[in-house]
Amino acid sequence: MSAIQQSILVIGESNVGKTHYGAQLLKRLIVGECKLRMNGAASNLKPFEKAMECLADGIATEHTPATTYVESVWPMVDTEGRSGTLIWPDYGGEQVLKMIAERRVPDTWRSRVGSATDWIFLIRLHTLRSADDMFSRPVSVLGQVQSQASPQQFSDQGRLIELLQMLLYVAGLDRDEPRRSPSLTVLLTCWDELGVQGSPKDILAEQLPMFSAFVHSTWREPAVFGLSALEKPLSQKKPDQEYASRGPEEFGFIVHPDGSRTEDITWPIHRLLTNNDMD
Amino acid sequence: MNSCPGPKCYAPETSCAMGNMELAKCPRWKGVVPEESPPDTEVQHVSLPWTGNALGLADLNFVTGRAKPLIIGIAGQESAGKTTLLAAWYLLLGRTRLTDDAWHFGGSFSLEGWEAVATAMRWSPGQAPGFPPHTSSRGARAPGLLHLAFRHCERQLRDFLFADAPGEWFKRWAIDEHAEDAEGARWVSQHADVLLLVADRQALAGPKMGSARSAFQLLATRVGAQRRGRPVALVWTKADVEVAPEMKDRIRQAVMSIMPDAAEFSVSVLADDTSAVGIGFQELFQWILARRRSAIELPSAAASGADPLFVYGRR
Repeated sequence: MSAIQQSILVIGESNVGKTHYGAQLLKRLIVGECKLRMNGAASNLKPFEKAMECLADGIATEHTPATTYVESVWPMVDTEGRSGTLIWPDYGGEQVLKMIAERRVPDTWRSRVGSATDWIFLIRLHTLRSADDMFSRPVSVLGQVQSQASPQQFSDQGRLIELLQMLLYVAGLDRDEPRRSPSLTVLLTCWDELGVQGSPKDILAEQLPMFSAFVHSTWREPAVFGLSALEKPLSQKKPDQEYASRGPEEFGFIVHPDGSRTEDITWPIHRLLTNNDMD
Repeated sequence: MNSCPGPKCYAPETSCAMGNMELAKCPRWKGVVPEESPPDTEVQHVSLPWTGNALGLADLNFVTGRAKPLIIGIAGQESAGKTTLLAAWYLLLGRTRLTDDAWHFGGSFSLEGWEAVATAMRWSPGQAPGFPPHTSSRGARAPGLLHLAFRHCERQLRDFLFADAPGEWFKRWAIDEHAEDAEGARWVSQHADVLLLVADRQALAGPKMGSARSAFQLLATRVGAQRRGRPVALVWTKADVEVAPEMKDRIRQAVMSIMPDAAEFSVSVLADDTSAVGIGFQELFQWILARRRSAIELPSAAASGADPLFVYGRR
């Protein structure tokens, strides 16, 4: 079977759950009851060591320091013998926020973006908002409101679109035609806190319509999944008994495009491996 | 010296106009790459060619590289609702209610500019929405251009630029074609591919309706004289305001007598129904999307040979 080098760029602002997903994914790969499992040993588990320890005790891990950027190389194999290498990064989400605020991209990020075969974009919908406007919530009496310069705020979906546009530009990728590569997977993280049922694609389109439209016009087949890496909120102080006794690998799920759930959180990665294998 | 000496290059604020990702590699660049925060001193950064704000003429090279964008010029008097029209479009786009399903939003290089015009029409904590503030003229040579890209079905992206020009320019320009302070209006008139002529129903029904009518007639005449066959639409803004039928006829006549093929639309942010899309914004935008720049017509040549290579060479 062919071996594939899969370099995944995980893009996410602060506090979207990058480290938790990384740690849970790693745990699943090591325990080996999913479609994907570790094929040998990972190059460096250090970035996720603390997070895995915390989760084993049923507590949430701390925030990743802003300046950290560590890549961990994981050799994997699936149940059908397809093997690949996954390069999974862990970093402080402030780096992404800083790029948007300063409108410039560090050279190191440029090479990462350019060499990635797949992009995974993590969005935590619960922390984003869409403000009502004059159309969605009309003003009852017109004429009383006067034109005024209110402090300008970038809408959340505008900011996320700008981020993708910046990354596409520095990677030297044009958007004339809908793109196939690098592939884009949008993961809606902390799905459990949304309290919704249905297709992740529809929920993205409902909550961030302009962003969803941009993604679907820029990529030929963007994938949108729901992800709950922890399945329930954990405290940073008080250990969760269930977690401690059953183990963190028993928690977490993926929501498929049709709204169905599976416990195999390695699935979005496995999908990328099989997609590339077929090319 | 920490700015590029090259014409039309704003490095390091935006990326190098010569296309060098790393400034140090540009032969024109003589400065030191600035570093603001001390911990980053070792880190090189890539700047972007767009600032996110409304585009100026120097920024256009980047956007026009793909193909010449369709430029939409909005001509109208002060407070006629030109900027509100743009803001309304952006708010509808934000909820994908602007276009039909065949058109997909493909990004924008002036997102911050759009947000700036639309922000006043959003609810913010403890503050009801209002209308965008007056667009200042700042004596610029060209208006700020707001960019949108759309993909029709699965085809290539098409770029659109919307000129957000202050009303004073058009007032001066309507009176004197060569007025010194109307250079921006001349730019719009010369470069726009589609012209929207805005009639402010509030002004045409207000205490100064006479002067509003006369100013509109002057502007319509000027646009008519300069249009060179380009698509024109008469856009009634603030459609919720009632206007006397005679006034309506006069305004319509001012446009239709010289531009009989002009389209006509009415827009308002206030709608009676619960559709939450206002009145007319979608229809006007769909009309714009369907416009095409007039194509070049090659002269037909009578030739006896069948080989097109020799068609024009024969006498």
